[in-house]
Amino acid sequence: MGKGEFLGEFEQVVLLAVARLRGDGYGVSIRQEIERRTGRDVTVGSVYATLARLEEKGFVASLEGDPTPRRGGRARRLFRLLPGGADALRATRGMIDSLWDGLDLDAADA
Amino acid sequence: MSAAGSRPSRPPAIARWIVTITAHRDQRCAQLGDLQEEFAERADLGKGAHGWYWRQALGSVGPNLAHRIRHARRARDHGDGMMETLLQDLRLAARGVRKNPAFSAVVALTLGLGIGANSTIFSAVYGLILDPFPFPEPGRIVGVGTAYPKLNAPLGFFENLSPAEFTDIRDQSTTLEEVVAWDMGNRQIGWEGPPQNVFTGFWWGNALRTVGMDAHLGRGFTDDEVARGDAVAMLSYRIWRDRFGADSSLVGGTITVNDAPYTLVGIIPEGVTIYGTDLWTTMGIGPERFQRNRRQFQVMARIRAGATLADVNTELAVLARRAEQTYGAEFEEYGGWSMRASTWNDVNSQLFRAGLFVVMAAVGFVLLLISANTANLLLARAQGRRREMAVRTALGAGRGRLVTQVLTESVLLAALGGAIGIGVAWIGAAGLQRLLTDFALPIAGSVAVNGQVLMFTAALALGVGIVFGLAPALQGSGTHLSETLQTEGRGATTGVSRQRLQRTLVGVEVALAFVLLTGGGLLLNSFVRMIRVAPGFDSHGVLTMRLTLPRERYSGEAVPAFFRTLAERVEAVPGVAAAGAGTQFPPIAFAYRELWLDGSNADPDGALPNALATITTAGYFGALGIPLVAGRVFDDRDRADTPLVAIVNQVVVDRYYGGRNPVGRRLKVGGADSDEPWFEIVGVVGSTRNRGLDQPPAPEVYALHAQIGEVQNQLFLVARTTVEPISVLPAVRQVVAEMDPDQPVYAIRTVDDALAQAASTRRVTTLLLTLFGAFALVLAAVGVYSVISFTVSERTQEIGVRVALGADGGRVRRLVVRQALPPVLIGAAVGLATAIPVGRALSGQLFGIGALDPLTYGCVSGILLGVAVFASWIPAWRASRLDPVEALRID
Repeated sequence: MGKGEFLGEFEQVVLLAVARLRGDGYGVSIRQEIERRTGRDVTVGSVYATLARLEEKGFVASLEGDPTPRRGGRARRLFRLLPGGADALRATRGMIDSLWDGLDLDAADA
Repeated sequence: MSAAGSRPSRPPAIARWIVTITAHRDQRCAQLGDLQEEFAERADLGKGAHGWYWRQALGSVGPNLAHRIRHARRARDHGDGMMETLLQDLRLAARGVRKNPAFSAVVALTLGLGIGANSTIFSAVYGLILDPFPFPEPGRIVGVGTAYPKLNAPLGFFENLSPAEFTDIRDQSTTLEEVVAWDMGNRQIGWEGPPQNVFTGFWWGNALRTVGMDAHLGRGFTDDEVARGDAVAMLSYRIWRDRFGADSSLVGGTITVNDAPYTLVGIIPEGVTIYGTDLWTTMGIGPERFQRNRRQFQVMARIRAGATLADVNTELAVLARRAEQTYGAEFEEYGGWSMRASTWNDVNSQLFRAGLFVVMAAVGFVLLLISANTANLLLARAQGRRREMAVRTALGAGRGRLVTQVLTESVLLAALGGAIGIGVAWIGAAGLQRLLTDFALPIAGSVAVNGQVLMFTAALALGVGIVFGLAPALQGSGTHLSETLQTEGRGATTGVSRQRLQRTLVGVEVALAFVLLTGGGLLLNSFVRMIRVAPGFDSHGVLTMRLTLPRERYSGEAVPAFFRTLAERVEAVPGVAAAGAGTQFPPIAFAYRELWLDGSNADPDGALPNALATITTAGYFGALGIPLVAGRVFDDRDRADTPLVAIVNQVVVDRYYGGRNPVGRRLKVGGADSDEPWFEIVGVVGSTRNRGLDQPPAPEVYALHAQIGEVQNQLFLVARTTVEPISVLPAVRQVVAEMDPDQPVYAIRTVDDALAQAASTRRVTTLLLTLFGAFALVLAAVGVYSVISFTVSERTQEIGVRVALGADGGRVRRLVVRQALPPVLIGAAVGLATAIPVGRALSGQLFGIGALDPLTYGCVSGILLGVAVFASWIPAWRASRLDPVEALRID
């Protein structure tokens, strides 16, 4: 982790969703946030696979919530952003920004 | 599929199960909870929750498995995880398979053959019986069959309905729609090159609308075209491709049918094969123009939305009763008649379904036998790994773990077998399809390895792997540590329970082999009896071919004149001894007609007298070698302007005239009040097997083509030769070409071939079942042999002691063989008990013997016991030659 680590595209999407939800992110809310913001219908399996990877890297942390009957008595798993995750998001954005810096696609085409 | 319903429903169980087994256990709970929460939310909003859940579950399979594999890799250093265990088991299993390449190869190959045979037959069952047609809703397309008890006619779907009966169904049924009827015959189509004869359907209605399909190109017949009987045609996809080079520009143009121009309005979609017809056209004449009892048409229809097949049959029963009440007085055959609809899939496959299911059951038995045999082999091998298992148990491996590991190995072997099986099925299915094409059988559907067959094969391999792996797995893991470690050290007979298991398996193999051999034996016995049946005429050396004179060029007196001249000229060909022509010849006569006998019109069975009606030229009897019993055959005295004459066969005499000579009496071909003319009987001929060798001869009446043949434009030429029949074909063709260069001949074959072909389904079933029986015998022998030789090898020391103490070879041999017999005898007894109901189930396919034929059962028992004794005698013989010194030194 740290400065040198850049995020893949879907990792960024999931991580940003977790960040936006400010600690209230769990499977359903993360999926719906992604769908609402990007229009992409993602599967719960791919969200969890990515979250597991982000957790291993120390970008997010999770804790068990309370079980609810609506979930068939299963607990929510809530995710929150860790400082390392915020660093990685910034680093990735910085990299992209520096690539965009001074670039005019219309001019480049011509 | 929305969740709309009474209560917001639960998530689909299978989809939930998919998530449960694919998600990693750390995430399983959270994923299922999330899915259920959002499912409930969507169900409340009525937003297609079920479909969403399925998409989520299936879409998650990939990421979930990828995650687990990654996880398993990371966790490898510090231990378990289910994925890791599975990988480890697979590695172990692969190592086991590699370590014994010969053993593994034999097992995989036998399994492959067994699985492949099953998959091949399944591909045939699927492609020919379950799903032969490309119809969008095959379950709603039905054919209408009829049974006429008064005519001794059981339920039939072929040439069974009259035009009036068709219009009754079409106009009165509320459960059927798009009701169509058709007749079939032969037409010549011309288009660059010599005219070709094609089997043709003549339709009332648009059958494509019935089956719910669009034409491949162009369109089907319109109602107006059918009503007017326009000269419009459709060609089958296959003939359009093979003969017309799939030229789409032909559609809308003109082709010639019997020299007349027809507009080709469309191409029939591929796979829509109705009794092998390649050309469709309109009937050309309205149904109202036929007599009510002119039953030579088939009816097909579509079940209306909301109705079921049962509804259709209830309604057809009502329609049948209505016809009986209205017309029963005039048409006696309506007494007790019935109409019944079956799906067109069933109608299409009724000729070969029974045979195919017999073969399917037989290959299933073979696979069970292979499984038992493999279990036996694995069990014997597991013996060698007892110490390994015991050591692993001692080191803390749980029983479940060991079972899984052994099962993994057997499933891996079965998977190899399955892979070979797919190859076998590929070849087998291609071979079957080639057979269907080569023989141009009028069977719709095709045999190929498709997704369903692959799934069937995979499921079969998995099931088989578990079945034959379970015995050794439970056996191997269930050992008691101390017992194993103790007994392994000594050379005494070990593992009483394992022996019991092995003997049980031998018993099972013998029982299965008994059943297969009995089935094969019964069919073989029937077949031999059938081909020995005297056909009632001299079938050897007779060439036949069919000619259909186009009505456009031949009418009235020209038709009989053509065939009379043809027979005379063919008789003059060198190598031809006699020639004639007739509308049908044994064993493939089909045109049944009602009879009315002057004076004594009674059938012993209470049915209406009926007979096959055959129209022949004078030379027909001589050419076929049908013997004259009384009176005379047709000759030059009988002409168009002399009184009508008929010849009957001996069955007619026996059944309808009480055996008295009927020469000089009169009969009518048709009902009492029909307008048909009276014929005077001038002769009696011997009965032939006119419906196939396996059917008793039917009553048959012959009339003379010269007298009533003006509308009979389609006859078989029969020529008795003194040389190889086919060798006169060029000369016969030459004769036809000289008389009419545009006249094709077709259906060329010898009468012997026709006899063989009539028995072909039976021949194939018999051949396969006999082969399977022989294979089963070999497998059972291998099973007995391997178990006995294994027992002997375990008892080497004991036998050595016996020999050292003075037991002679004969005594040792008897000892070993005697030990082999109990499981064989019990297996044979169980096999006998099973074979009896199986034989009964086969009884429809038997001929000349009962389902309990003592000869067959005796032979099977004898062969099986003999082979079992022989298989155990080899190791026994080896044991008796043991050198006691060597034997005692082992271990």
